[in-house]
Amino acid sequence: MLRILLLGAAALALLAVAVLLGVAIGETRLAPATVFQVLANQLLGARYPVDPIDQGIVWNYRLARALVAASCGAGLAISGVILQSLLRNALAEPYLLGISAGASTGAVLVSVAGLGAGAVSMTTGAFFGAVCAFALVALLAHAAGSGGLRNGAQIVLAGIAGSQLFNALTSLIITKSGSAEQARGIMFWLLGNLSGVRWSDTLLTAGVALAGMAVCAWHARALDAFTFGTESAAALGVPVRRLQLVLLLAAALITAVMVSIVGAIGFVGLVIPHAARFIVGVRHRRLIPVSALMGAVFLIAADVISRTLIPGQVLPIGVITALVGAPVFAAILLRGRGGRV
Amino acid sequence: MLLRRLAFSLLLSAAPLAASATDYPLQLQNCGHTLKFDKAPASAVTIGQAGTEMLYALGLGDRVSGTSLWFNAVQPQFKAIDDKVPRLADNDPSFEAVIGKRPALVVSQFEWMVGKEGVVGTREQFHDLRIATYAMPSDCEGKNNLSGADGTRTAAYDVNTLYKSIQQLAQIFDVEARGQALVQELRQRQAKAVTQLQSPRLRNMSAALWFSSADLSIDPYMAGQKGVAGYMLQTLGLRNIVTSAEEWPTVGWETIAKANPSMLIIARMDRRRFPADDYRKKLEFLKKDPVTRHMDAVKNNRIVIVDADALQGSIRMVDGIEQIAQAALELQAPAR
Repeated sequence: MLRILLLGAAALALLAVAVLLGVAIGETRLAPATVFQVLANQLLGARYPVDPIDQGIVWNYRLARALVAASCGAGLAISGVILQSLLRNALAEPYLLGISAGASTGAVLVSVAGLGAGAVSMTTGAFFGAVCAFALVALLAHAAGSGGLRNGAQIVLAGIAGSQLFNALTSLIITKSGSAEQARGIMFWLLGNLSGVRWSDTLLTAGVALAGMAVCAWHARALDAFTFGTESAAALGVPVRRLQLVLLLAAALITAVMVSIVGAIGFVGLVIPHAARFIVGVRHRRLIPVSALMGAVFLIAADVISRTLIPGQVLPIGVITALVGAPVFAAILLRGRGGRV
Repeated sequence: MLLRRLAFSLLLSAAPLAASATDYPLQLQNCGHTLKFDKAPASAVTIGQAGTEMLYALGLGDRVSGTSLWFNAVQPQFKAIDDKVPRLADNDPSFEAVIGKRPALVVSQFEWMVGKEGVVGTREQFHDLRIATYAMPSDCEGKNNLSGADGTRTAAYDVNTLYKSIQQLAQIFDVEARGQALVQELRQRQAKAVTQLQSPRLRNMSAALWFSSADLSIDPYMAGQKGVAGYMLQTLGLRNIVTSAEEWPTVGWETIAKANPSMLIIARMDRRRFPADDYRKKLEFLKKDPVTRHMDAVKNNRIVIVDADALQGSIRMVDGIEQIAQAALELQAPAR
């Protein structure tokens, strides 16, 4: 018990350090003392005289951004854990279900095709697109398989078909768009961008990430069972169809919410569960919290890099997650040859 | 004395008419292509509002057989002419819609419309059908349109490319005197606006120009150094706080707020594809956001609203320069 408490405290400390770094490092240079004073003013009620712009940058922009990055990283990593276990596919990740492609279509419909005429934001469009895509993919998988979602391969194939369909729709709308500026705006958003997040997004993303963790933790043993296949899980007394539905819905909703807030950030759901499995093994009781923590720290770090790599310019965070994630993934694969990865 | 004055004023008024008539066949260089004209084109299709209004301003409205790619409503003085001209598309027209008008010339504002990777067609495709093409020098000189989504400026925007396009189109259509008069008018108006701002009190004023944003609170598209809007600020002696050389870079609000410019210029447009296209939403954001609301320009309402078309390499650019100069004078912002 003491060991668990110590590990939990260490994890929280690591997360706090990552969030602090996310707050301290940004596009412009702020003195560490200013950062400390702002945090002390806001959290401890201190009354340091701080420039209101600096105060706003630290508290409203950077802290909210770091917390949303942490929540999205944790949420996407958990979605990856669920899908890889349920589908028994090492390459399974949230985007496989066509959720990202659907979110992209929804966002593009709003911003390029003018659906909602400015009244509906891209975030709302992305959420509806993501949910529609997942519903379509799930229906297709259900119709294709005699046993519903019993066969992981069917939903993987349905996801690929759905992704292709929605990617084609996105391309069609962008091709018909009026200007290169719009195409650039959409591309930037599709590759992920945290610049627009504020405190209101923090509550939603943190809530969804925590709920996702709770659902996973509650079904940790069932997820262990699914790793050995649906028949083994059924033999162990797991209500296969019901849990498959619940867990798939959880993964889909987590991804839809995260993608709608920050755009389509790839690689987190694919890489992090593998990296976590390499460190703590395949048991979900450990795998879930460790994946969530690693996802959170990874996305905060990627966001800091995206803001500071080119001075005066912010890169889409998806570019960083792919540039960092791909070599890490390759390293994990190479180190794990013949091992458990 | 009276006779001398009369003779002098007659000479002045006749000066634009002194321009010679075009000698055909005419040969001129345009964006890496050699164009040849045996006679003035009987009709033209325009792709882009800048070229359309340029032809209208040259009194060539009756030669325009179709227009496309509109950003805003036509300038009021050209409304009567424009009402008679078919609008092929609000955005990019199809290749067949353009050639269907059997134009002798296609005037295109952007190379991404008609160019090596043109979405309407390549110049060669039109030339194969014996249709001449004219590309606006402001979009190709000092700019590489094969890199980046909007092309990349290799040199800062040069207003002489605008004058060049007016003079070359006037030459092609054999209305050189009108071209010279138009260029002269634009030069004079710009010089007057610049002179107005030569006050020591206004020296070192800084500015930032927000065009639009893909979503309201994310990094906005700001005027960079090398584009048309960057040129306008520089010409007026306003320091652009955005240091990026790009034409319309995305710059974080954190960077803009920290730079705290003396004045903010925001674009007004009829387009409603991004929420931030509506200048009222831009104003609302600036006043509500926990960081931007503390900027000096927002607190003291030193915000100027300029028509988006006045930020393009078009004859409207001078309207924009005049507007910004006038606003700077009225705001009388303290030097920063």
